Amino acid sequence: MTAPEVVFDDVSKFYGEVLGVNRVTLRIPSGITSLVGPNGSGKTTLMNLMAGLIFPDGGSITMRGLSPRDSERLMQITGYATQYDAAPRGATGFDFVSTGLLLAGYSKSEAAERAAKALERVRMTEAAYRKVAAYSKGMRQRVRLAQAIAHDPDLLILDEPLNGLDPLVRAETIALFREFAAQGRHVILSSHVLQEVDIISDQVILIANGMIIAEGEIRSVREEMHEHPSQYLIRCRDASRIASLLFEQDHITQIKIQDDRLGLLVMTRSRREFSRALTRISLAGLTVESVVAADEDMDALYEYLIGGER
Amino acid sequence: MNTAFRLRQVWTIARLQLRRVFFSKRSFWVYLLAFFPSVIFIGHGIEVKIRRERWGSQATSPAAMESIHEGDSEEDVLKRAGQPIDDSSENRRRRKKAARRERSDEDNEPVRRHMMYFDGSRRWNLDFEAGILHNKRGYPIIDFEEDRQVFAAVFQYFYLRLAIFFGCLGIFMNLFRGEMLDKTLHFWFLAPARGEVLLAGKYQAGLIAAVVIFTAGAALCFGAMLWPQDPAQLDAFWRTQGPSHLFWYGASAALGCVGYGSVFLAAGLLLRNPIVPAITILLWESVNGILPAALQKLSVLYYVQSLCPVPAPTDRDAPLLIRLLLAPAEPPSATLAVFGLCGVTALVLWAASRAVRRLEINYGID
Repeated sequence: MTAPEVVFDDVSKFYGEVLGVNRVTLRIPSGITSLVGPNGSGKTTLMNLMAGLIFPDGGSITMRGLSPRDSERLMQITGYATQYDAAPRGATGFDFVSTGLLLAGYSKSEAAERAAKALERVRMTEAAYRKVAAYSKGMRQRVRLAQAIAHDPDLLILDEPLNGLDPLVRAETIALFREFAAQGRHVILSSHVLQEVDIISDQVILIANGMIIAEGEIRSVREEMHEHPSQYLIRCRDASRIASLLFEQDHITQIKIQDDRLGLLVMTRSRREFSRALTRISLAGLTVESVVAADEDMDALYEYLIGGER
Repeated sequence: MNTAFRLRQVWTIARLQLRRVFFSKRSFWVYLLAFFPSVIFIGHGIEVKIRRERWGSQATSPAAMESIHEGDSEEDVLKRAGQPIDDSSENRRRRKKAARRERSDEDNEPVRRHMMYFDGSRRWNLDFEAGILHNKRGYPIIDFEEDRQVFAAVFQYFYLRLAIFFGCLGIFMNLFRGEMLDKTLHFWFLAPARGEVLLAGKYQAGLIAAVVIFTAGAALCFGAMLWPQDPAQLDAFWRTQGPSHLFWYGASAALGCVGYGSVFLAAGLLLRNPIVPAITILLWESVNGILPAALQKLSVLYYVQSLCPVPAPTDRDAPLLIRLLLAPAEPPSATLAVFGLCGVTALVLWAASRAVRRLEINYGID
């Protein structure tokens, strides 16, 4: 049996004449997947398509084997924390979370128990019976998250879930995502904070102008980008000597010696050749203390693939 | 997912929507429409009660009033009927005196006197000229038949055609449109419920609210109309037609909500601007009486008007166009009306359920 996936097959969505997403084909395995792209790139459109809030004009979508048009079954296994801030008028945080549970078929007591548990996980127990309209931005974010996780879904879709959270709740939320992912579930989120994307994501999807620019693990995406030399930061005792040895290699395009003369920033067109060269340098008796990839992160990917505005 | 589960989902949605429908600020004018006619009838009732109380202490017996005829002298009338509740001769004389100073020729004009009596149920106006009664007219201070006609007219021309129509417009159009404007509609679409279940839940909430508000309004209005009536007449009315009239007025109001509710719920799903469907449907309903028989059946008013127990009076002096617009269609039987309306409602709700399945949540372009 194949692992459940989120599959987009040649999906397009237009809002009148405005492009939402264009001919998107994706296969998202379980784990934490981050959608990254500038404002208006189509991240929310992709998420709304996944949740069946909007429908594609072309192509097809399968969410762990279910069609988004089958909202009844899809929402049994899906939790979606949208970017929309509003809650039904007069609803308390508890109502907001428990209503979905009641509609999912839980008994009143079971729904109350699960709602309380979900609110506790996002540290909202004390404010549970206050109206959502009176919540701060961070509290609304948390209550939406509580609503999304309350029914223990297999598929979590989260639009900018870390916005407005304080550092402690942020760390707990990231731990929660990891826990979900470790259980073979999907956690699909969008984020502007690239450092966080780096830390939490198993894979990333870069999107710009409604089109998928790259998808996969950050490292493998980076490896595919041959037009941008890889950057490595080397800490060593004799930077000048190592620099001169490296410059003899064809694949090295640039070397910058750091001010303390104990480090180098090396740019290479071939990771493999670079690795071999380093081995040779070490065998020659020169001490290399550490080698760190300097551009195998979301910041670099974003800069290379999308650039400009975030 | 069995039917019982879906029904529970419908009720869960309806229960949460009820609070919004009953207590939202937008509902204020719905209450105003529903209870405005009651205010008029209560005002009328208070006026009758006050008159009855004020004049009751000086009431003359009906027999004494019957014994008075045109040609009797002032003295005879005063002797038989006693002091009137209103006598305007003094004022007239005072005015005459003032006028006499300016125009001596008016001295020859006969002195006019107007007296008013009350016999417990009727007000009598007696006009005297030169001390002789020359005109005697009696008016009941309240006329049950007339009030029932007025109620029928208010119910059919105002309540059904305007109050329930616009009330349902306000309640049902807002169920989807209002949440789209508030950006809260996605909340329901992210719940594990089918679109049809959401539609049914919202319709149920709107219907409960509309039926409670408008049948209560109609019942209050009916009660206010009956309140000042003669107790004997009232007693006879309650023993004969009263309960059935109350039931059918209530049923008409409720069925009006059923029909208009479905129409405006569907309109709220299909159209963005409520003014367009409101004007179109209002026009359609208004010209219903002059439409071909087959088209008349596609109207809510066609069915509910025929259930009203008292036909609404028409003013023969009204312009032809108004008379045409107010003319009721050929009424179907009560059974046909109820089933016909339910059929039209089911058809409209079916169309709405198709629309809700295709509905997309996209606040950005809305």
